[in-house]
Amino acid sequence: MGQTTPPIYDVAVIGGGVVGCAVLRELSRYDLKILLLEKEADLAEGISKGNSGVIHAGFNVPSGSLKAKTNVAGLALIYPLAAELGVPHRKTGKLVVALADEDRPRLEELKAEGDRSGVPGLEIVDAAAIRRLEPLARGRWALYSPHTGIISPYELVIALAECAWQNGAEVRLETPVESVAAGDGLFRLGTPRGTVAARSVVNSAGLFADEVARLAGIEDYRVFPYRGEYLIADKDCGLRLGLPVYPVPPKNDPGLGIHITPTLEGNIILGPSAEPVADKRDAASTREVMARLKAEAGRLMPELGGLPFIHCYTGIRPKLVDPSGGEKFRDFVVEESGLRPGWINLVGIESPGLTAAPAIARMVVAMIGARLDLREKAGFLAERPRSVRFAHAGDAERADRVSRDADWGEMVCRCEHVTRAEVVAALRNPFGARTMDAVKRRTRCGMGRCQGGFCTPRIVEILQDEGVPIDRITKRGGLSRLFSGRIKG
Amino acid sequence: MNERAVVDRLTCVLCPVGCELEVEPEAGGCGVQVTGNQCDKGVPFAEEEVLRPKRNLSTSVPVRGTASRMVSVRLSVAVPREMIFPILAEIAKLRPETPVLRGQVLIADVLGTGADVIATRTILAGADS
Amino acid sequence: MIGPRETCDVAVIGGGPAGLAAALGARRAGAGKVLLLERDRTLGGILNQCVHDGFGLFLYKETISGPEYAERLIEDVLREPISVGTGAMVLDLSPDRVLRINSRQGYRLVEAGAVVLAMGCRERTREMIEIPGTRPAGIFTAGSAQNLVNLQNLRIGNDAVILGSGDIGLIMARRLLFEGVAVRGVFEILPWANGLERNVRQCLMDFRIPLELGSTVVEIRGRDRVASVVVAKVDDKLVPVSGTETVIPCDTLLLSVGLIPENELAKRAGVELSPLTGGAVVDETLMTSVPGIFSCGNVLHIHDVADWASFEGFAAGERAARFVAGDRAARTAVRVSAGPNIRYALPQLATRGAAGVEWSFRVKRPVRDVTVEVKGSASGKVYARKKFRRLLPSELQKIKVRAAVEEDLEVGCP
Repeated sequence: MGQTTPPIYDVAVIGGGVVGCAVLRELSRYDLKILLLEKEADLAEGISKGNSGVIHAGFNVPSGSLKAKTNVAGLALIYPLAAELGVPHRKTGKLVVALADEDRPRLEELKAEGDRSGVPGLEIVDAAAIRRLEPLARGRWALYSPHTGIISPYELVIALAECAWQNGAEVRLETPVESVAAGDGLFRLGTPRGTVAARSVVNSAGLFADEVARLAGIEDYRVFPYRGEYLIADKDCGLRLGLPVYPVPPKNDPGLGIHITPTLEGNIILGPSAEPVADKRDAASTREVMARLKAEAGRLMPELGGLPFIHCYTGIRPKLVDPSGGEKFRDFVVEESGLRPGWINLVGIESPGLTAAPAIARMVVAMIGARLDLREKAGFLAERPRSVRFAHAGDAERADRVSRDADWGEMVCRCEHVTRAEVVAALRNPFGARTMDAVKRRTRCGMGRCQGGFCTPRIVEILQDEGVPIDRITKRGGLSRLFSGRIKG
Repeated sequence: MNERAVVDRLTCVLCPVGCELEVEPEAGGCGVQVTGNQCDKGVPFAEEEVLRPKRNLSTSVPVRGTASRMVSVRLSVAVPREMIFPILAEIAKLRPETPVLRGQVLIADVLGTGADVIATRTILAGADS
Repeated sequence: MIGPRETCDVAVIGGGPAGLAAALGARRAGAGKVLLLERDRTLGGILNQCVHDGFGLFLYKETISGPEYAERLIEDVLREPISVGTGAMVLDLSPDRVLRINSRQGYRLVEAGAVVLAMGCRERTREMIEIPGTRPAGIFTAGSAQNLVNLQNLRIGNDAVILGSGDIGLIMARRLLFEGVAVRGVFEILPWANGLERNVRQCLMDFRIPLELGSTVVEIRGRDRVASVVVAKVDDKLVPVSGTETVIPCDTLLLSVGLIPENELAKRAGVELSPLTGGAVVDETLMTSVPGIFSCGNVLHIHDVADWASFEGFAAGERAARFVAGDRAARTAVRVSAGPNIRYALPQLATRGAAGVEWSFRVKRPVRDVTVEVKGSASGKVYARKKFRRLLPSELQKIKVRAAVEEDLEVGCP
């Protein structure tokens, strides 16, 4: 017997990216009925998966801005958070490199900006120090930021959501908000799966935050999509990069300049570029930008010319800067709507949004706390159990796992050494994400040099074993079906 | 096969020499003229290939009662090319039962062509894949 | 708790046409304990999905399909006391020949007296050739598609474009057509078709599937599923020519753009690889730079005829057995390099004084009425000469040197 009246939530979070999930996790500390609504078939489908995975220290944004404040506050929170949640990360440090003496003043400006914002440990270093810190980097001078790091961004998103879930939060995938009605102190969010009523709403819909706000009658925002393209090199390329290396950021570039960033797995990422696009969904890679990425990276690091690239991807940033206007900078918007009290808008959360997310989440909780009673939950589970990937486990651990469960003995992904046990566990995630990309993000299947050539048929078999019918096997939900059925039925 | 190739070039595959043959319509007739062969086997080879091409074909069919345990099949001999799709349609109806043995005839003399449809792998009852 | 380390005489990694033969070769040459490891559920390797015929012309003197070829070899293997592990993937190989093997039956370490690498190859991907555009569902490499169609009975789309005229692409064009998928065309970046002429005739011409040479896919469109591809002509430097673009609506793109020997394990074992083949540098015994590790089949260099991969396998297996039996005198080697118009010559090394060595090679560009020579790099002395009426890059060829080799050599096609 179901309820006849649907539940009223204290808070509904719209958007399952890093900010939405950070908010959800922070809210799950308290005795509140909360849920997150995500329109795609998995979390982290937006900019949260299309970035370089860098934990920024905070000197690349104007001091005094909300971006700077939340970045620096987030920097202090994110390392312990990642450790608590078992998300792979590393404090690598970072070098911003000036190839010529004439670029040194720019480094000093960045340092000054960072010092003003309270970024710890920044120092200008010379060519000898550059070579010591990163043998592959070249330059006359560099700004060294010891607290910058790298993290797996989508693993962070998933971990935040799973932690929130284990503390009672609900997550609904494939649930876009299509209408909003406000009245009686409640927001009624219309979705294809029914109406959700909530006392408070956090709009963290990323690229679509302006459109979601408009559903609530809030016309204040316009988000402009800026696409960034990335290239990823093979782990086996013979180069080991220890920390991210950036060129001196050109003053007129709406991005950060083209970076060279290592991943935790040992790949090297080139990018991003930054160009405004007309369509928020235009995620295509272009020949021109791929060539530019390689050329510019080659200037910074000649060894990168001719690297075997195994993948290219894009991320579309939600910027508030109008490309046709003269503005160069717009700050984060983290504000409760005057028109709709109880509705909080998070708009224009581009870089450093990943690092800033824990700090933004606290700001949001404070806003909610001004209207709702926040009682800390007894028995809040801050940590999320996480086991080492089979690929990284030692011999004894591997033997042990296989003897307990034979699924650990069946290899699915040859390039990244992922086992059936891990694929099945990924598919049995609490949110019901069962797309090929959901498996990929949770296990690394398909992220290797064969880009799914070997594992796809095997994952397809496992999906069927787990009850997903053939015509519902998709790359990322919706219409991205792999098959139209059986040949001979 | 009534199709006429105006000029056709093909490599003979009957022996390692691999003569490059040229085929033209026979002047004043409805046959063809073959040049480029270094032995007389090349002429009937090219004639057949141009006038009456024969092909083998292969595909796979699911074991009865399963969605994807597949038995690969082919023909025992090549058949006239125009019979390819009609034969595929006949094969598509097959749902063999296990055990299936390599070489087993699944359809004898399919559509009167003289070719058998044979299984090209062995699937025993209860065997995995 | 991991069990005690096991040992064997010869471990063969990979149970396809090369590995099956290597296990037999080792056993027949007297190896005691031969271990054959295959990561798939059944032996046979890529043969299992190659339902078309054309296999066995040299090994069995008749043309049969891939599965039949595989089964015959498998039956031979099962008749011998060869220890077969299926669903068993080797995750690591050390230079001192310790294998780390994972399977549902358990995770174990095995120390081998000799190892034969027979892991085959993988396919070049869309990302590696950097096709711009979106990343929708509906893009498959041809081999992956072949697996899904032939082994899982899956309809991968309704309307396909194929990039690459290698044999896999040609075979899949016909395969898709047979299963009711429209095939808009096969596009090939080079000015010549890469696959066998027989396949161009029987897979494309028979069905009037267009073959466009000197063309490539320059963009993929479609957000969730492929909606179209943009093709363009290329110039003689293989660069797309602006203004020649055509949009082809389709929902499936198959890529048959090259095979790459899969040498991750070889790298872990410290085996020297050749940039020309993507496979190990070997001498005429098929031994790599690491003593006791041998290589054969597609993991050594890409074959176009499975029978040759098997012959290489028999030889490698036999040599591995002889190594275990103590045949491992230190040898000095001459280097063999690829000369004019030769993409590679294999083996890259030969034992000084060895006679009757046969080299495999491929040309870079198609040529007619040529003479291929094996000559001394320093002396210019011609050790062997062979005339060919026609040489294509897609056809692996051979040339034998009857005399003993005493100096560095070059295989050339001037």
